[in-house]
Amino acid sequence: MIKTSIHKTQKNRQQGAAIKMVSPYLIHLAVFVLFPVLFSIFLTFHQWNIISPMKYTGLDNYLHLVNDRLFWKAIINTLFFLVIHIPLQLVVALFLAWLLNEKIILRPFFRASFFMPVVISGVVVTTMWQQLYGLETGVLNQLLTAIGLSRVEWLSHPAMAMVSIAIMATWKNVGLYTILFLVGLQAVPQSHYEAARMEGASPWQQFWYITLPAINPTIFMVFVLSTIGGFSLFIEPYIMTDGGPLNATLSAMLYIYRQAFGYYHMGYAATLGLVFALLILLVVAIQKRYVENTENA
Amino acid sequence: MVLIFKFKWFASLKVGMALTMLVLLGSCNNKSHDTDDLTYWTSNNGGEIAFAQQVTALWNKQGGQQKIAFQPIPEGQSSEEILLAAVVAGTTPDIYSNIWQGLVEFYSKSGILVALDTLKGFKELIAERCDATTLAEITSSDGHVYQLPWKINPIMTIYNEAILKELELDSFPASYSDYLKAAKNYSKDTNGDGHVDHWLGNTSMKLAWYQRLFNFYPLYLAASGGMPLIKDGKAVFNNKYGIEVMTFLQSLYQNNYFSRQVESAGQDLFIAGRYGSKWTGPWEIEYLDKFKRPGFQYNFTTMPVPDAHQGPVYTYCDPKGVVIFNTCKNPQKAFDFVRFMMTEKNDLLFLHTTHQLPRRKGLDTMASFKNYFDTHPHMKGFARQSHFVRGSDVSPHMIEVLDIISQEYEACVIYQKKSPAKAIEDAEKAVNILLKTLD
Repeated sequence: MIKTSIHKTQKNRQQGAAIKMVSPYLIHLAVFVLFPVLFSIFLTFHQWNIISPMKYTGLDNYLHLVNDRLFWKAIINTLFFLVIHIPLQLVVALFLAWLLNEKIILRPFFRASFFMPVVISGVVVTTMWQQLYGLETGVLNQLLTAIGLSRVEWLSHPAMAMVSIAIMATWKNVGLYTILFLVGLQAVPQSHYEAARMEGASPWQQFWYITLPAINPTIFMVFVLSTIGGFSLFIEPYIMTDGGPLNATLSAMLYIYRQAFGYYHMGYAATLGLVFALLILLVVAIQKRYVENTENA
Repeated sequence: MVLIFKFKWFASLKVGMALTMLVLLGSCNNKSHDTDDLTYWTSNNGGEIAFAQQVTALWNKQGGQQKIAFQPIPEGQSSEEILLAAVVAGTTPDIYSNIWQGLVEFYSKSGILVALDTLKGFKELIAERCDATTLAEITSSDGHVYQLPWKINPIMTIYNEAILKELELDSFPASYSDYLKAAKNYSKDTNGDGHVDHWLGNTSMKLAWYQRLFNFYPLYLAASGGMPLIKDGKAVFNNKYGIEVMTFLQSLYQNNYFSRQVESAGQDLFIAGRYGSKWTGPWEIEYLDKFKRPGFQYNFTTMPVPDAHQGPVYTYCDPKGVVIFNTCKNPQKAFDFVRFMMTEKNDLLFLHTTHQLPRRKGLDTMASFKNYFDTHPHMKGFARQSHFVRGSDVSPHMIEVLDIISQEYEACVIYQKKSPAKAIEDAEKAVNILLKTLD
């Protein structure tokens, strides 16, 4: 009986200590995550411009969202960006990782160089690329015309603008994913390749049957991170195109920002944010299910 | 062991809380150490900071009245965002001097501004500075006045004087047809790559609402003789002037007379000689005098108008005003300072220090300003234009209204996806839905 009581007291003390140890994180979670999420959900049922009292509007914001042509265009634009950006990012990052995994001269220099854009501010990168993409004065068009090709309306043609932004975003982020792939590649045992070579496997067969299956978890991680990063597309269209031309680069995040801090429609912006977050969750869940099915198969 | 753990845990928690409080209080406290002082936020451009420094020093030196502590508005993406954050945090200054006229209705409807027409000395100040049109422009929909018109920067056409010689013109074209003719003659491919690389002008390709304040809106005011965009809660720009302006601008892009280059920070194709002209304000003078090439001569003229236009040529004047927030404990004292800041003598000081025009009637004919305008001839042109300017219409939703116009502008003017009549009609419909929904 006494033993049980002592045991209980010790257990309570341990639990108390554990709660105290995690409490800073719990407080942070409550203040900076839980409260904003709950407050945002609360806001979706209101009209509020920050400085005037809130007005209860029921489901008006949701009804408005359903018929908001611009929001759905922004969602399609964001998905279009992902369709270009993710495969490009995966292929380029894997290729660079493969190169950097080989014994090439100045390998540390190249590794640092490819990673450099990741640590440069997004605003700086965007401004720099805006100059490269210039229609009349941009370096890219000057190079194209110098070799006799037609110049490209990188940012001013509705069909081209999002592609240009995806290329730039890939350049900016590829270094991070290259490092992840590099880690994955270095973890593949060399004995597998030696055995394959002895069996007469070609380099392509080695890549396809050994490398790719071995780095599958890394591919999934890069896939998910690129997807989440891609959904938060904001700085690039905000600075380069302001969502134009003809709303071709209006991303969901840019549209939400415009509603919240351009027009001060906080209730509507919260509604857009909530629906958008659910969409991201859905896409990531589908990705996860697909990868799990592939692995099981 | 448990005690030590407890002590460390609580001690670190206390230290953490104390530090947090210190940081929070430090960042929130924008008042000066003397709590009786009134705080005055100015914009954060160098000239206006220098003016605020001088004018507050003069006021404080007089003694016997409440002192003013000035500071530039804290850095942020835009002054609107900073003000909004200050309102939410309850840290607004007593006086703010750089508020865009189109935003005042938004703030006044939220009840955070002092109605200045209830203060002693208001009538005298307004009578000294404003005509009836300006007074009507700054009067809120509830009949009160929440802003004092302080400064303007009228939008005009700046042109490279070399093009007059090149196009054999005596003066820069004033009508649409002359402008289009000049634009056609000036467009050229100088490096032989098959692409035009010299244009008569451009407008920003960006969609941001304020970009239309430098092209569509001043052109609309010029064409219509200063008509509003919104009246009595309805869009009133679907008229022959609105359509004429869109048609004119569309022709410029359709014929490749205007460039579709997206200019980035640091680029200036006017200085580079690639654009023959542009629509801009008097801030361009100081900038050009600093960065222009030797021998680069420029001049200003009014906005182009339809061929059949008669009468004065109006433009948009980018008006900024002074407001007093209702967190101010002594609005009358704050107003007295603002009156002092806007005396003729201090307006002259403002002009000298910032090279921006005070919003004051008869600016170009006042004896005390003569010397300044004689030594700054380009500014004199802007002062003459100040007789024929308009600010913003009274609506809490001006930003959205201009955003809607901007969307239609892009579709019609830049990409020719809509006819001018359809673009104006669609903008009118969208603005009316907006005003009906939100008002």
